[in-house]
Amino acid sequence: MAYIGSAVSGILDAKLVAGKGQYTADVSLPGMGYMAVVRSPYAHARILSIDTGAAQQHPGVRIVATGADIKQWSRPIPHTLNPSAFGGKTTDIYCLAIDRVHYVGTPVAAVVADTRHAATEAANLIEVEYADLPVVIDAERALEPDSPLLYPEWETNELMHVRFQGGDVERAFADADHILDDTLHLHRHTATPLEPRAALAHYDDRAERLTLWVSTQAPHPLRTTLANTLEMDENDIQVIQPQVGGAFGVKIPTYQEDPLACLLSKRTGKPVKWVEERTEHLMAGGHAREQTLKFSVACKADGTVVGLKVRIIGDVGALAAVAGWGMSYVASFVVPGPYKIPNCEVDLSIVVTNKGPWNAYRGFGKEAASFLMDRVMDRVADTVQMDRAAVRLKNFVPKDEFPYVQISGATLDSGDYAKALQDVMDKAGYQSFAEEQQRLHAQGRYIGMGVGFELTPEGGCIPDSFIGGYEGATVRVSPSGQVTVLTGVTSPGSGNETGIAQIVADALGVPLSTVRVVQGDTQACPYGLGNWSSRSLFMGGSASLYAAREVHHKVLRVAASMLKTAPEDLDCEQGRIRVKGQADREVAFNDVAEYVHKRPFDHHAFDMEPGLESTRYFRMGNIHHVPDDKGRINTYPSYPYAACVAVVEVDIETGVVTLLRYVTVHDCGTVINPLLVEGQFQGAVAQGLGGLIYEQLSYDDNGQLQTGTFMDYTLPTAVEVPSVEIHHQEVPSPFTPLGTKGAGESGVSSPFGTIVSAVENALMPFGVKIHDTPLTPQRVWRMIQAAKNGNNGGAKA
Amino acid sequence: MHTTIQLTVNNAPCEATVDTRTLLVDFLRDQLDLTGTHLGCATGNCGACTVVLDGLTVKACTVLAADVAGSAVTTIEGWTQDARQSGDLHPIQDAFVKHHALQCGFCTPGMVLSVQQLLKEKPNPTEAEIRHGIAGNLCRCTGYASIVKAVQEIARMSSE
Repeated sequence: MAYIGSAVSGILDAKLVAGKGQYTADVSLPGMGYMAVVRSPYAHARILSIDTGAAQQHPGVRIVATGADIKQWSRPIPHTLNPSAFGGKTTDIYCLAIDRVHYVGTPVAAVVADTRHAATEAANLIEVEYADLPVVIDAERALEPDSPLLYPEWETNELMHVRFQGGDVERAFADADHILDDTLHLHRHTATPLEPRAALAHYDDRAERLTLWVSTQAPHPLRTTLANTLEMDENDIQVIQPQVGGAFGVKIPTYQEDPLACLLSKRTGKPVKWVEERTEHLMAGGHAREQTLKFSVACKADGTVVGLKVRIIGDVGALAAVAGWGMSYVASFVVPGPYKIPNCEVDLSIVVTNKGPWNAYRGFGKEAASFLMDRVMDRVADTVQMDRAAVRLKNFVPKDEFPYVQISGATLDSGDYAKALQDVMDKAGYQSFAEEQQRLHAQGRYIGMGVGFELTPEGGCIPDSFIGGYEGATVRVSPSGQVTVLTGVTSPGSGNETGIAQIVADALGVPLSTVRVVQGDTQACPYGLGNWSSRSLFMGGSASLYAAREVHHKVLRVAASMLKTAPEDLDCEQGRIRVKGQADREVAFNDVAEYVHKRPFDHHAFDMEPGLESTRYFRMGNIHHVPDDKGRINTYPSYPYAACVAVVEVDIETGVVTLLRYVTVHDCGTVINPLLVEGQFQGAVAQGLGGLIYEQLSYDDNGQLQTGTFMDYTLPTAVEVPSVEIHHQEVPSPFTPLGTKGAGESGVSSPFGTIVSAVENALMPFGVKIHDTPLTPQRVWRMIQAAKNGNNGGAKA
Repeated sequence: MHTTIQLTVNNAPCEATVDTRTLLVDFLRDQLDLTGTHLGCATGNCGACTVVLDGLTVKACTVLAADVAGSAVTTIEGWTQDARQSGDLHPIQDAFVKHHALQCGFCTPGMVLSVQQLLKEKPNPTEAEIRHGIAGNLCRCTGYASIVKAVQEIARMSSE
């Protein structure tokens, strides 16, 4: 295996570093118009009237559309995950609001004009008359019987209620030595890929075909959704994903602006381009994370956790068609993570409020479960006066109990959690830290070390949705021996194209430079579900491997005939096919390819199917959607994990937290490319750190977003993010042909628990206990002051 | 209102009529098709639109096109053309590729131009100087470690 396992540079990097990547906003078509969207300035209101007269008259304007038009021209957008399929409530989402707005930023009208300036000017001329409605921005308030209702027909703001239960929880609590209760709160933030969303729609009147260039992660499901919304045949729609400038989940679903641009192109007969502004993204591009996590844990004096009750309240904002609410569902699905706690119950309320809708963000709820379980373990450790790592070691699922089924049905595939934690403690100098800490404390410095663990279920596979556990790929060899791989998975910059090329190059025994990976074109690629949940390499790569093996089998058969030997006696490396142990008996891969294409009736190839091409699909073998005897299904096939240690310093005068070190031992099974895996993990930690300390979508009581630009939505820079020390523990997945597990998402969850634990450790002299995020300087400073005053209940900033 | 400007873009003289509201970044992208310069925030925070204006890096979303009349602008396209040595890329870019100092590539052209400015001013920067030197360029993918590594390598090579 020449390439698998080696640190090959990204195959697109040389192009991208020279500025030659073509992103959606870089694509232009003759005669295209520009779309601007009018958005609600109110968090909750009825639309009384919309006057588009002045906008229609504005020079350069091609079309103006409101919800009334959209309702005539299209159907509601199918939900990426419909809550009603989970026993929840639902509502129709059209491209534009029909008669009511539920959050600041709700799209209510759109304009297409000859230039961007003209479109913006005309959008400003649209007069929308609103009757404002009472606003609810707090999820617990939204659950009260007298709360304003977002969707009055529901008669509640609870979108969904879910309960998972296993074992005998009451008995476990009755028998416990200690019972501890706590309430945690994670704050609202979002992915913010640097490339905003963008679309270029072109409806060709003559061909009666629609082409959409769009910054998406899932072109094929988007095409299916568009066909439904626009009432067109899927055959008449082509979705093309140009280079994507980061996605992290937010570009998975079909947004309202995607079919909107298509409709307006169809109505005007000319291409329509839309590029999201950053403020639009922060208002309406999708939010994440905001949840209240209440727990009650029962443990023995030796640190064994015997029972756990969890109550999660997910504040998912207004409902959109983009599936973000599913993150709260996954948070509850993952509890109790890597721990063996058979007596466990989780009660989940997913609640709508007048804030921006949730949308998928790396972590997808797993970060909430990780934070919760890290806090549970820290609390238990502090109560029974044990080391925080030792309590985790005591409660991990043992390595000989896989596959291990959690109460939700989550079926943990493989691993050695204890070894990962012990290894990371060794690498980080966990045992000797206290000495260093005391030495620095004597100098007036507050340094702390924290330990954490994230379990990151990957490759989600939800019944009756396009969130599925399979993938397809085609491997095609041309007459000159060039290899094309067409995949159903896509890459928003995550590097799977390089990993897939490595897998295929090894399977065929050809140089990597001869392999081209084609992704993100519904006209060219096999139907696939796209990029999310770290699925691209372990599912798309597995499908590519199967297809490459099939082609390789044919190549060897022909080569064996040419070399008068048996296929199993051949080696194929770097495009040379040799008889094992006989350097002089060889044939070039390219010559075999040419032979197969040009001489299908000659004696080396006449008895096999012509062509050197294969399309194969790969399905995860450990998903089950038929409920077991306890009513459980398993929706995730792969469970990578990471044990982490963080070292922080807190400036007690200012409350500034600085992350000094972050060390991890990470298992994503077989590593195809350490350069890419480590790059993903490092980037994920940066996002987790940013989310924990710097980024916040904050709303005032009227539901106005206070952090709507990068001036106030603070992202971490190179100054704030240290280089993560990454070590690998490779426990191969038993369910994929190469042993690969999901990689790419991991790293985003652990900073919450690990860094919070480290900050508590640094502030031990004050007895600070942390319950809420973010750890902004102001909030940390207040926590210190409160603890000094004898109140460690956490600060509410 | 429109105005006509004359300037130098990537070493070539350029004359264009621009709407006076047009930002330099939009002018470069829309009128000159120099799409290697990206727009990420339009508030001067993210740095994806970094270009070189009269020898110094600037965020092209904070400058009006009408204001650069008489100036020289260099974008990633022009800089790559000028700066490359033996191969197709400049050693800074080669180091970026080697260390996978980019993932989605959206911040990368701006990041590369900030790095060349940093190395011009401080040929042998410390890690802290590197981190401060690129603090005006946000990257959401890499977590910066590989970028820092690439810059350290290029600094080391040039000091040898």
